[in-house]
Amino acid sequence: MDIASVLAFLSLHFDEIVTVLKPVLIIALLFQVLPLLVLLERRGAAFIQDRQGPQRATFNLQLTSIKGVFTGEGGDGLRMRGFGMLFNIADLVKLLFKQSFVPPFAHKWWYILAPAIPVLAGLLTPAVLPWFAPIVHSVAPGDMRAVSGQIFDTDNGLLVLFAIGSLSVYGVVLGSWSSNSKYSLLGGMRASAMMISYEVSMGLSVLGMILLVGDFSLTRIVDWQAANAWGVFVQPVGFLLFLTSMFAECNRNPFDVAEGESELVAGFHTEYASAKFMLFMTGEYLHVLIASALVATLYLGGFDLVPFSYKLPGGPYDTAFIQAHLGLVGGLMLIVGGAGLLFASHLVTGRKRHYAKLQASDKQSRVKEYGFFAAVFSFLAVILLLGGAACLLLFPAPTPISGAVYEAKPVYSLWVSIITAVIQLHVVLGKTLLFCWLFIWVRWTLPRFRYDQIMALGWKVMLNVALANLLITALVAKLFT
Amino acid sequence: MAKVVPRPQLSFWESIYFVEIFKGLATTLGHAKKNLLSPDNFPTLNYPEEAPRLPQDYRARHRLMKRPDGTPRCVACFMCSTSCPARCINIVAEESPDRHIEKRPVRFEIDLLLCVFCGYCVEACPCDAIRMDTRLGVMSGDNRRDFVIDKAKLMDWDPKDYPLTDVQSQKAPGGSLHQQALEEFRSGTYH
Repeated sequence: MDIASVLAFLSLHFDEIVTVLKPVLIIALLFQVLPLLVLLERRGAAFIQDRQGPQRATFNLQLTSIKGVFTGEGGDGLRMRGFGMLFNIADLVKLLFKQSFVPPFAHKWWYILAPAIPVLAGLLTPAVLPWFAPIVHSVAPGDMRAVSGQIFDTDNGLLVLFAIGSLSVYGVVLGSWSSNSKYSLLGGMRASAMMISYEVSMGLSVLGMILLVGDFSLTRIVDWQAANAWGVFVQPVGFLLFLTSMFAECNRNPFDVAEGESELVAGFHTEYASAKFMLFMTGEYLHVLIASALVATLYLGGFDLVPFSYKLPGGPYDTAFIQAHLGLVGGLMLIVGGAGLLFASHLVTGRKRHYAKLQASDKQSRVKEYGFFAAVFSFLAVILLLGGAACLLLFPAPTPISGAVYEAKPVYSLWVSIITAVIQLHVVLGKTLLFCWLFIWVRWTLPRFRYDQIMALGWKVMLNVALANLLITALVAKLFT
Repeated sequence: MAKVVPRPQLSFWESIYFVEIFKGLATTLGHAKKNLLSPDNFPTLNYPEEAPRLPQDYRARHRLMKRPDGTPRCVACFMCSTSCPARCINIVAEESPDRHIEKRPVRFEIDLLLCVFCGYCVEACPCDAIRMDTRLGVMSGDNRRDFVIDKAKLMDWDPKDYPLTDVQSQKAPGGSLHQQALEEFRSGTYH
């Protein structure tokens, strides 16, 4: 069995392999981004509030081969703080090993079931999000196959998404009711009323986009945005309404009535501890991530590279463009990543210099740690920049398979399509993280609305604006298209 | 009759939230950016690894000033303990061997748990014998007895920890002006 036959086998069964790999990959991806999100929330909040943030969980990195270089006051090794990233591990260990306590007054079955629902909803919803354009490849001359960028390729993607996404309110309601505690029940009642109210304006605000596109399939919504204009530009009001509704759906500030820690202890999860509490938190951050990805997909062009790219010289910068200029686009993305890492290295070096000037008892270990990270970041940045330059200059332009055409577009070899998909995945992730930061940023900027203000805003303002927006969009769509 | 305070009325731009929200976002992003880019001006410290930068006139733990020969400048006049609102200063006096000075303290104790750090003792002292400029903001102990500091502990300070402009501290043993001050002290011209 030689390599060529293995490749032929892979190409023949690519659909099946990808169908199995996609969910695993996307869920693994989500759980890779989650700790980053927690770190971003903690340190971002700290920096906004002029604090240092959590950075005290440490471990000693043992580098025995270069022992002479790394010897700190805590014995051999390098005392690592990891920018507070270790707190994720510390929290995980703590929450997993705490006693899994069920209050004697709680309804045990529902109490245990409740935290699983938000996580389940958070893991199911990415199934209908398009993470990349369909991978078109040719198995044999004349036999073209397309693998969708969605895990669950359906024409009703948006409906499925809203149907499953709305289930997470059940976790809140069930958790609060089964806890059999007044604080929990109050938090759950308020939160469920709020989430259901804001679902109305959420659905109405996204209808404008659906009217323009004329399709519920998220892939086709992204395609429409690439061919015409991103959702932000054609539906600015709808975008703001949808974003605000998403804040309410995620129970994030300024719509944080479910938790309401200033008046309800911890709201719906007052009675929860250990791994069940952790599940609630995981569900919350998954929800933030999915909401960000959804906003990015619906209103920021999803995996599309540049807005209005069909008007730009050389455009449109769509999937076919990326495939034809794989070296250029890939190289540019590597260079952007390398520049980001160089900036991170610059920031870390600044911190190192700052601590070198200080009178602190753990000065040496901190200077060493920041020096270590500056070196690692610079090394990776140099690799990325060199790789990007090599891609730009040396990568041969891929040639389409002669005679192979799928939906009036040329078809390239499987590897070109896969690399294109990876590039598009990074584009979606970048936009998603942008909105994740917006969620965190807004949380630490705005105070919480009073409950009557939330209801007034939801029913008296947002619903009316959403309806007006829908009406105007319908008229414009009917008259001008 | 209760005074009625009218609720502040929001202007149009304030009532649609968005402008104000963007102003708030700009403020918080400014803080995040500043703290991310310039760690030198960080408002908070990693206590206890980093000591707080207390100002020179911070009212911290007391100390007793010393003459060039190492004896306390205190003449046991009881002005400080009389002016103390917390009555935390306990002095036992005895006759001084120096014929120009009437008394000296045998025991000079301050109960830091009673002390309110008002600084009245420093102001009351007629001969600049007690000061609160040690910058020792943190005191710790295992029991209450540890917080009653005696004469030896009050005089246990090093002139090198004080600026050269602090002439009285530098005249104490170990200070930069000590040698000259000791000669003046022995010849009787010291003030």
